[in-house]
Amino acid sequence: MSYNMQKKLIIVLFLAFPVFLLLLLLMYPTLKLIQLSLTDWNGISRTFHYVGWDNYVQAFHMPEIWKSLYHNWQYFLVHALILPLEIMIAVLLNAKLKANPFFRSIVFLPYVINGVAVAYVFSYLYNPINGPLNLFLEAVGLDAWIQRWLSDPAVVNYSLIFVSLWRYCGLHVILFLAGLQSIPEDLYEAARMDGASPMRQLWHITVPGMSRVIEIVLFLNVRGALQVFDIPFLMTQGDLPMPVRPLPYTPWIQLSNSTTMA
Amino acid sequence: MTMGSKFKPLYYLIFAIITVIVLIPLVLVLFASLKPASELAASSPISLPSSLYWGNLKTAFVKGDILTGFQNTLILIVVSVVLNMILGTMTAYILNRFDFRLKKVIFALFTVAMVVPFYTTEVARFQIIKALGLYNTLYAPTLIYAGTDLLQIFIYLQFMEKISVQLDESAMMDGASYFRIFRSIIFPLMVPATATLAIIKTVEIMNDMYIPFLYMPAKKLHTLSTALMSFVGERASYWNELSAAILIIMLPTILIYLFAQRYVFAGLMDGAVKG
Repeated sequence: MSYNMQKKLIIVLFLAFPVFLLLLLLMYPTLKLIQLSLTDWNGISRTFHYVGWDNYVQAFHMPEIWKSLYHNWQYFLVHALILPLEIMIAVLLNAKLKANPFFRSIVFLPYVINGVAVAYVFSYLYNPINGPLNLFLEAVGLDAWIQRWLSDPAVVNYSLIFVSLWRYCGLHVILFLAGLQSIPEDLYEAARMDGASPMRQLWHITVPGMSRVIEIVLFLNVRGALQVFDIPFLMTQGDLPMPVRPLPYTPWIQLSNSTTMA
Repeated sequence: MTMGSKFKPLYYLIFAIITVIVLIPLVLVLFASLKPASELAASSPISLPSSLYWGNLKTAFVKGDILTGFQNTLILIVVSVVLNMILGTMTAYILNRFDFRLKKVIFALFTVAMVVPFYTTEVARFQIIKALGLYNTLYAPTLIYAGTDLLQIFIYLQFMEKISVQLDESAMMDGASYFRIFRSIIFPLMVPATATLAIIKTVEIMNDMYIPFLYMPAKKLHTLSTALMSFVGERASYWNELSAAILIIMLPTILIYLFAQRYVFAGLMDGAVKG
């Protein structure tokens, strides 16, 4: 067979299945979602009518949606505020010290732990009856700080955000570390020869050299904040009080309703 | 960058604090899992267990149906990781070595798939899985996990760029087909990248609760994650037994991580910097 024929054949053969899976399980659902969003389909019935932009207009006026989004926003904000600290930790990890590989393993450890396990570990810590956190606060005389960490609407989102920090900061630090290690060492040498202070080196070499990784981490942060689901779902047994639900709850609840009815 | 000696104590202090923050939750769960219920209620959570009590671990292992969870998780991992790696290398091979009209479209499709939040499309995906008759079977998650994604393709692509095209060309002079080149040259040379990606994917599948919980509610199809969820549902507030179950579920990924972290970090570094 000529290479020209072969080329056509192998392109089709090799891409067929991956692209088919992509179209079937990701593209089609996305298009379907857009289509359904323009109809009055209720999730169960077999028929529906097109209603134009009505659903969007309605959603726009639903306070629940904005409240949910606000909770997603809090996730994003707290994670974003902690980015400089993560960069500092990455800078420290990049120093040539014997203990680095050990600390690097520790920093990344939470990210690889099963999410369900993480959720229940913190359920145990936050437990209002004899939970370690409240007992600790009592022991050090901070009785006033004792909270119903997972049921008081005023604190629950922050309790959950802390779990998210515990779980994901390590990933960000390691990504920043990767960015740092990609910066050529001679840039720093040249800067030192010119007498640039460590702060100036950080600002003029490190930060620009890492811009790409910072972009990636910010993208992950937006995506993560919008998709936050498993930890809150598990830690509150799925009945997070409405005012503190992050956005992904709404489709989930509809889905579990429609599957039990089907 | 080397560090002045005056920074060293500060360095160790900061990382000591981080280590404590990371490990304390896990250590407290470990303590709780080794105490009988009476001791857990009476003692402080930070006190060492007075003796090593294995009863909780035993209960969790048997009643939590951990063995079923292990088995199903293992099947899912082996089948979907193998499929995923084959599809990923095939896609990367085509996208790196050939030029064709729809190439940009295919990249665009993978990019869109990466950007759309998964939960928004779940209703429609659920209907497809159901229509295919795969609901409540191991095939549903397998199919979902097997698909390759943009990140994987990027890591493979940049790895492939380092494999000289001259290798392909000299094989073609010997009359090897493209398929042969892929099988005998490209695929074997991609093994290091594959190892990294396979480990990351394994940890991802092992830790996922969303897809198995949604697509495989049957008890005999429990994975590690969903087995733990249902055990917690049954034994709520028996924190000694729950802690034991949590530990058992955490262990496999932690072990994989400790033994294979070199690959995990290599993959993350490559993906982050050049991806």
